[in-house]
Amino acid sequence: MTFALLLLIPLAASGLTAISRERRAMEAIHLLSALGGFAAAVLLAGEVLSRGTTSCWSGFLYADSLSALVVLLGSFVYLACAPYAIGYFRTDEANQVFGTEENPHEHLAKLRKYFTLTPLFAFSMSLVAVAGNLGVMWVAVEGTTLASIFLVTFYGRPTSLEAAWKYAMIAGVGLSMALFGTILVYYAAQHSTGGESLSALNWAVLVGGAARFDRTVTRLAFILVLLGYGAKAGIAPMHTWKPDAYSEAPVPVAALMAVSVLNCALYALARFYVLTVNCLGPAFPSQLLILFGLLSIGIAAPFILVQRNYRRLLAYSSIDQGGIMVLGLGFGGVLGPLGMLLHMTFHSVTKPLLFFCAGNAQQQTGNDSLKKTAGGLLHALPVSAPMFLMATLAITGTPPFSMFQSEFTVMRAGFAGQHEGMAILFVALLVAIFAGFFYHIAQLVLGPASGPPQRETCRWKTYPVVALSVLVVVMGFWLPAPVYALVEGAARIVTSTPAVHP
Amino acid sequence: MYFWQDPQFGDRMITLMAAFVLVLQITMVAQRWLITNIRAFAVQSLLLAGIANTVAYFNHAPHIYAAAALTLVLKAILLPVFLRRLVARIEIRQEIEPLVNVPLSVIISGLLTMLAYVVAEPLRAASGPGDSAALGHNTLPVAIALFLIGFFMMVSRRKALTQVLALLSLENGLFLAAISLTYGMPLIIELGIFFDVLVAVMILAILVYRIRETFDSMDVSRLSRLKG
Amino acid sequence: MIERFVSVIGQAAMVLLFSPLIAGLGKALKARLQTRRGPGVLQPYRDLYKLLRKGMVIPDTASWIFPLTPFVLFSTTLLAGLLIPAVSAQAPLSLFGGVLAVVYLLALGRFFLALGGLDAGTPFGGLGSSREMTISAIAEPALMLAVFTVALGAGSTNLSSMAKAAVGQSWHFLAPSQMLAFAALFIVLIAETGRIPVDNPATHLELTMIHEAMILEYSGPYLALIEWSAAMKQMVLMTLLINVFFPYGLSADASPLGMTVSILLFAAKLAALASAVVLVETANAKLRLFRVPELLAVAFVLSALALISTFLFGSRG
Repeated sequence: MTFALLLLIPLAASGLTAISRERRAMEAIHLLSALGGFAAAVLLAGEVLSRGTTSCWSGFLYADSLSALVVLLGSFVYLACAPYAIGYFRTDEANQVFGTEENPHEHLAKLRKYFTLTPLFAFSMSLVAVAGNLGVMWVAVEGTTLASIFLVTFYGRPTSLEAAWKYAMIAGVGLSMALFGTILVYYAAQHSTGGESLSALNWAVLVGGAARFDRTVTRLAFILVLLGYGAKAGIAPMHTWKPDAYSEAPVPVAALMAVSVLNCALYALARFYVLTVNCLGPAFPSQLLILFGLLSIGIAAPFILVQRNYRRLLAYSSIDQGGIMVLGLGFGGVLGPLGMLLHMTFHSVTKPLLFFCAGNAQQQTGNDSLKKTAGGLLHALPVSAPMFLMATLAITGTPPFSMFQSEFTVMRAGFAGQHEGMAILFVALLVAIFAGFFYHIAQLVLGPASGPPQRETCRWKTYPVVALSVLVVVMGFWLPAPVYALVEGAARIVTSTPAVHP
Repeated sequence: MYFWQDPQFGDRMITLMAAFVLVLQITMVAQRWLITNIRAFAVQSLLLAGIANTVAYFNHAPHIYAAAALTLVLKAILLPVFLRRLVARIEIRQEIEPLVNVPLSVIISGLLTMLAYVVAEPLRAASGPGDSAALGHNTLPVAIALFLIGFFMMVSRRKALTQVLALLSLENGLFLAAISLTYGMPLIIELGIFFDVLVAVMILAILVYRIRETFDSMDVSRLSRLKG
Repeated sequence: MIERFVSVIGQAAMVLLFSPLIAGLGKALKARLQTRRGPGVLQPYRDLYKLLRKGMVIPDTASWIFPLTPFVLFSTTLLAGLLIPAVSAQAPLSLFGGVLAVVYLLALGRFFLALGGLDAGTPFGGLGSSREMTISAIAEPALMLAVFTVALGAGSTNLSSMAKAAVGQSWHFLAPSQMLAFAALFIVLIAETGRIPVDNPATHLELTMIHEAMILEYSGPYLALIEWSAAMKQMVLMTLLINVFFPYGLSADASPLGMTVSILLFAAKLAALASAVVLVETANAKLRLFRVPELLAVAFVLSALALISTFLFGSRG
């Protein structure tokens, strides 16, 4: 029942907006569906917390703490984006970004594209997490790509076409690698269990039989899956689509992609990681994950230092965050996955805030260049600009914000797993990223006013910023016990220690 | 027993069709006309459908018939027709202009084929001596070679549409791998994959069309404004 | 010993006597396909007879190589013909390396022919020689690779064992390596025998001619020897193709019945292959000279693929 709600609400919203003729109707449907989706996700999380796992259609849809966490975070971001998107597109319309006033139909068509495709996007992301079958999960991940390509080309500029093409090609090749990996796992499963049918790819079946998988096949499968879902997550060196897509897509889409797509891809990766560890032991996947994680952070650092455009800066930050999570997974032990999932949780709250602030700044000044904007954003945006600075501190892992805790956990996992050198390198890179990021945003926000003092233009854009800021501050001190229980349960799934249920 | 019921005959046919699939892939690398490329893709898909059909026949696995039929309809008929319409519509110059010249590309493809053999060998060994005679398992190197050569084509081609074709032929390699290793994925997943491929091609075609409209060219090396 | 002697004499006679017939058959069939009446099937015999009786003109600039060439060409080609199993699985002679000896004997003949063309000192001869060597530089590796592929399958480079190995297997010809090697060798056959689309033996157009340019200065009996060698080379290559790829009906022993069946089948297969070549000739236009290496590169790639596929598909390749 919860599954049905979770999946049908966005589908219904997409269908309804496709036929509605009023902008207000579309906005209302969108908001309601976001609320409904979040409620369904909370319900699912509650079910999982009380019962451990839940499934329907003989395991076709399946949820444990890990899936529930990803669903919860995804629908939370969707909920945060919904009101912001309304304000964002109203401002766009007022700024005549869609063209002149003459053709209201064209505006409506543009808006309908967003309000129809985004729920589909959300639907595929929920399906990724609740698909019990790894093949269906692949189909859903591919679905997220397909739903988001036209969101990237939303503005129809030559540069957005370029970004979409790069995104489509890299994600396409990456996902075909992931499919190859899935086929190999299916082969290994079929071979060891003799199972013929659909259930051979079901998570519950796979994780039990993984110890008997053929080692060569599993090794190759993991490499392919890592490259494949890694490309989708934007792990270096398959990260090149990310800055382009994030800076060309509308801000709400970029926020959704930066958080939910990353979460989904890492979720898929974590599932295969568990299978591989069960078959080969932790050494082999750990080495690869540490390598790719550190590479991502290491590539993000110089690009952040010399960046000239703050939307691209956020994209590189997202590559960095993805790298931290992969690194946490790679460090392993008890702490590594816990750090990764905590980081995922905190990142899902903080990243949208950054994107919203950046979006507000961009709409206020008309460009997203760090060089053209003279600074003094503080006077033009009395709410968003300081929050931008605060969110920057939060995302770079400055205490007392929550990301510090998770990054510290990842670092401790590194020391616990005898990866001292890697852990030290990790910390050094984080410091460099902090310095670059903070320097750029401080330049942008602080400084004397360049014009007369202004006020925030649209309440729809300000309220989400305020709400998320409050949440970021609160999370620095207090994480609700059920959420922590969910994170811990999810970490236990990744470390393959049997869950203890009250 | 008629000769077409002889498993050895089936085995030979699968091997032969797989070899021609590989030959077609190298044809796609080597020749310079877009239309020929599309045609080669169509024939390649047709042969894949043939392989799937043969595997289904000799293993009495009805769900592979569905996959074979889907491949036939979608990849051998529908997509080529659609792509040719697109070529006609956007009136592009028909030569492919690869970044790497033809002889070198062919040599690289040959090397990739050998790499595929090296990669596939331990997998084949993994299936155990008793299974090595299983029908179609020996096409795995071809599947990996298709995958690698498709990947190479994506990197070495400049025109958007040829990159789409490369992606499709790469996908063909995956299909062959699924058939040869596991006798096809479960039907529902196969359906999902086909649906995804169809939608992906439609979306990519629209993108190609819009790139062509915007840049007055399909040359993706002109898509280079976003840097850093 | 006697048996061996008989088989050598028999095969030599067969190659010598029947090779012009195949050439004539091809020409007649081509004429029919072009809806001409054309010369009769026996025309090559008449040509040879006529040439052998004529006097000769030898260029003043020519050295001893010029008169030596026809004899070398004739004898190497005939010797190559004796190394190939034709009507019995056992070839009359077996030299070192088996099939390699055939390839190198043919190459030796071609080498002397090119020298002869240069030796006459006319521009056309040099032009023909350089073109011939360009083509053979690509055709020969393709030929070698294809032959190696088949030899790999048979486990021997000895032509007799290759033919015997091929007889025993069911569905042998469906193996991809066999098919690809056959396709490669077919292109090589067309190139080596100077057929359209590589070369046109019927014209003396300086833009395109290859073989005819080399032998432009030869006349009389020397020309007869060269033409005869060309006919024999065609037959030798065709026999090679037939008996390596389609050896069905090849008699393993020397019983009269087996030999009769074998000879009849061989003749039929030879006629079929010659017709196929003529069909290719009629259906295609002559390629531009600069495109010819591309066609031969296709043959090379095909034979390389054939070799690779013996590894790719294991025992079934």
